Amino acid sequence: MASVTLKNIYKSFGYVEVLHNINLEVDEGAFVVLVGPSGCGKSTTLRLIAGLEDATEGEVLINKRVVNLIEPQHRNIAMVFQNYALYPHKNVRENIIFGLKRAKAPKDLINRRLERVSRILELEDLLDRKPAQLSGGQRQRVAMGRAIVRDADVFLFDEPLSNLDAKLRHQMRSEIRRIHREYKTTSIYVTHDQVEAMTLGDKVVVMRDGFIEQHGSPMEIYLKPNNIFVATFIGAPSMNMLDATLFPGFVELEGQKLMLTKRINENDIPLPKEGKKLKLGIRPDFFLDEDIVGKETHLAIIRNAHIDIIEPLGFDRELDVQVGNQALKARLDLRTMAKEGETINLCFDMERAHFFDVGTEKRLSIH
Amino acid sequence: MNKHAGLFNKMPISIEQRESRLGWKLIAPSLGVIGLLIIYPILYNIYLSFFDVKLTGEKFFIGLANYEKLLQDTAFYGSVLTTIIFLIGTVVGSTLIGLLVALLMNLQFPFRNVARAIILLPYFAPIISVVFGWQFIFDPVNGIYNHVMVEVLHVTDQRHNLIGDPHTALLVVIIFDIWRHFPISCLLIISKLQSINRDQYEAAAIDGCGPLGRFFHVTLPEIYFVLGTLVILRLIWNINKFEDVFLLAPNVQTLPIFTYYAAFTGIIDQGFAATISVVQFLFLSFLIYFYVKKVLKW
Repeated sequence: MASVTLKNIYKSFGYVEVLHNINLEVDEGAFVVLVGPSGCGKSTTLRLIAGLEDATEGEVLINKRVVNLIEPQHRNIAMVFQNYALYPHKNVRENIIFGLKRAKAPKDLINRRLERVSRILELEDLLDRKPAQLSGGQRQRVAMGRAIVRDADVFLFDEPLSNLDAKLRHQMRSEIRRIHREYKTTSIYVTHDQVEAMTLGDKVVVMRDGFIEQHGSPMEIYLKPNNIFVATFIGAPSMNMLDATLFPGFVELEGQKLMLTKRINENDIPLPKEGKKLKLGIRPDFFLDEDIVGKETHLAIIRNAHIDIIEPLGFDRELDVQVGNQALKARLDLRTMAKEGETINLCFDMERAHFFDVGTEKRLSIH
Repeated sequence: MNKHAGLFNKMPISIEQRESRLGWKLIAPSLGVIGLLIIYPILYNIYLSFFDVKLTGEKFFIGLANYEKLLQDTAFYGSVLTTIIFLIGTVVGSTLIGLLVALLMNLQFPFRNVARAIILLPYFAPIISVVFGWQFIFDPVNGIYNHVMVEVLHVTDQRHNLIGDPHTALLVVIIFDIWRHFPISCLLIISKLQSINRDQYEAAAIDGCGPLGRFFHVTLPEIYFVLGTLVILRLIWNINKFEDVFLLAPNVQTLPIFTYYAAFTGIIDQGFAATISVVQFLFLSFLIYFYVKKVLKW
């Protein structure tokens, strides 16, 4: 186990700078997920830690030791690649123990580890097969096995589940959690899938265009996103961003007054007379049907939302509704009697809503 | 039951059957040409090897006498030895140098494509012009080789006729053949090298492999069958190689040249020459069979 630190990392490919001043602390034994849309620099960051890329500027530390000049083979890390990168000429057993053999580990240790790993990953019956004879999910497990069989300081995962179907992905996600609980090896996991980020990470790092937008625990990021990008990227369906105007005691949305629970401190947010234009962010999951919850005074209500489409998802119903000129999504539970083409009154807790500055896109702290 | 059903059931041709019939029709012309130009001469050659063929065209059946004569001929064993040295030298040499150059050419550097094209030149150039070039290099009087060795570097004070001397001529022929044919090895190996996934190397690096380990555990297994195919191709080409050897150094008697001398010079003995080619053919067939089974694992 080891800690990993990135200090003021810059990375350029030719004239294109892809990472701008990345600073990251990964504690011993932590599970950190780097998440962001493709091209945000998350894979490059991971490859810098692995030693597969060189930092243009800045320091990479593993176990408080600067490793910039150390080749990947001497960093004692293990990595799971997106397309697994198994050795096609070696069978499953040889693939898994290859790293141990290179490290000249004693035979009985190799056998013990192999047995344990193949039991954990249910690979016992596949040991003599070649990668070409395995299904995608099995290959993925072999790639995992190859990583965890070694006593590596750090596990690096580069979108390891993105080539699997939804069901397998779910299953492997729990598997990875279980393995981390068992081995407690420091892990850094790259994904573009915010569900993986939320479910796997002790800490989530959201990246965009080579910058770290926010890092924190999954719930911190879900409930207190720093800016519009993080707010809409994390959570599915993504957060509604509505044009609204803020006044001292209420916020106006399409002519409707939505009461705030607290008065705005005008020292924090200066409010002009005609109100401050901003983005009101509400997650679809936080809406309630007024017909179901009844009239509760502490909830804000959006009235007469016109229902375009209802998607029944089993327990949930996802509604596409229109409020004035703005579209929004609401996720209600199956008790709602709303029908397409009708109108609905949607309630939400104002404490769960966010206000974002239109210019800087940063979240304004009102609550 | 429909009356016509029997009519259609008589000739049930599945799609696969129809395709295989079409396949046979399509390859029939080339099979015919191959039969006429290759199989017939081989059979006729075997037939001839049992005869004493006179210049007039008369043939007398003599059984295995030609084979007896061949097996007692010390020049034949010399020729077999020369052929084996020639084969090993050229096949191993051109494959290794081709591999080395391919690995270098697979690195990123400016003007790589130009360099790759230039590498191919020896293979493109007309044989007769490069042969004269090489003969000039080793010319004992005016050649640059002797000039450099004697007058510039003073390695020796004696001029050598490397091509004229049968002992050293074989070496020159081997070097010439390697130089002329390494580009084809290089070309085939590069095309395979380019298809190896980069993350294979990265995975090997993370598993603790240095450059050498990555070569043996990633590159070599990937190009194994290309190397195998190259070796077999070069074996076939070189066991029958005539012009490169004969034009550069007619005194190097590999089997094709030994056969040529027997068939077309001095006391012309076509039956005996046919016998040599039959033996050469058997040798090659055995070699290829063994190779295909053991190395290419077909």
